[in-house]
Amino acid sequence: MINSMLILSLMILASFRFIFKFIDFSETELASPILWITFFFSGMFALAPIYQREVEQGTKEGLMLAPISASSIYFGKFLATFIIILGLNLFSTVVFFAFFAQPMPDMVLLLGIIVLGTIGFTALGNLISAISANLSQSQVMLPVLLIPILLFTVIMTSVEATFQIFDGAVLADLSNGIKLILAFDIIFVASGYLMIDYIIEE
Amino acid sequence: MTKKNILTIIMLLASAALTFTGLYMAFLWAPTHDTMGDVQRIFYFHVASAWVSYLAFGITLLGSLLYLKTNNMKYDILAYSSAEIGVVFCTAAIITGALWAKGVWGVFWIWDDMKLFMTMVLWLVFIAYLALRSNSDPGKARARISAVFGIIGFLCIPLSFAANRIWTQFHPTVIASEGGSLQTTMVQTLVTAVFAFTFLYLGILMMKTDLEITKEELEEIKQEIGDLDG
Repeated sequence: MINSMLILSLMILASFRFIFKFIDFSETELASPILWITFFFSGMFALAPIYQREVEQGTKEGLMLAPISASSIYFGKFLATFIIILGLNLFSTVVFFAFFAQPMPDMVLLLGIIVLGTIGFTALGNLISAISANLSQSQVMLPVLLIPILLFTVIMTSVEATFQIFDGAVLADLSNGIKLILAFDIIFVASGYLMIDYIIEE
Repeated sequence: MTKKNILTIIMLLASAALTFTGLYMAFLWAPTHDTMGDVQRIFYFHVASAWVSYLAFGITLLGSLLYLKTNNMKYDILAYSSAEIGVVFCTAAIITGALWAKGVWGVFWIWDDMKLFMTMVLWLVFIAYLALRSNSDPGKARARISAVFGIIGFLCIPLSFAANRIWTQFHPTVIASEGGSLQTTMVQTLVTAVFAFTFLYLGILMMKTDLEITKEELEEIKQEIGDLDG
């Protein structure tokens, strides 16, 4: 499964690479949106099966019967998906720099923003994935539910911060953006922790 | 006729009377705006629909919170009905706003403007909410997950407000200009339109909640018949 996600990231970046063969845009200006669109769509496919597979394979009952709270299930799934999605994003970043000949920005800052953004993405994505696992057409419903609440909060802020990094910003310029993303991370993890009880209880 | 039915009819009649009065006031009574001209007359119903959509989404949040607290299906029905009406009024606000913007700014939409952006986010969140409702089976599980999504969706509004730090003011601020460019007759027309749409919202909300309750009773009766047959 992880294989196919890696291939998906590769495919998305390859499509972007081919756009630039035909259209003459500034690659440095568009680097940040390209990266985050790749993260968003490949990450979404990593989020989709988290709870869906428990339902399909009938292991949900086992999880419910286990003597652990719903929030422990949430945190377990959060950590596992976080590692997978972070790995995916790092792979995409490497492929990005291979495909697009960009001057290297401050890599520590870039990785920092990617880690912070991924935490928020996974925290809220986990909760929405639990919601969509209960729906018919869950494959379609995940992006439908995810986009309006994720895109305008954590993704938008991360895109802006990444844009500044490619623009040659230092840590001091980014402090507002980093604070905001951190705040989103905390709010999303907290809301996942508080709300997951209502979603997976039977 | 129950008391609630009579109240619904009163609301709708009040709304109809006020809407016609409002239309008369907007088109004939209120003066033409100095700088914007006749295009500005759309403003009265634009503000009214925007206000009703915010009110409706607020009620959805309230209903969702109360449902999670009390587990009473009544609040789930309230939240859902209000969201559906809210989306309709929000669409109306967006369309009238775009028409007005075309006349005044020359474009239908300005992405940098905060109020436009926030309304767009609200609209998308609650369209997703309705999609969620229509893709799940009726019952306690649906009530719970849609309440959770309603709360998260509403939570994201102030968050995306913070995220969108591009703060360029194109949108005319109504309250601040009340003393200046907005004349007394214009304010009166606006108030009439707002009351007309608020009554319309309340009337539709009552009808819609009644309808949903009836639907649920029908489902129960069907279940009972099925049980008897089986």
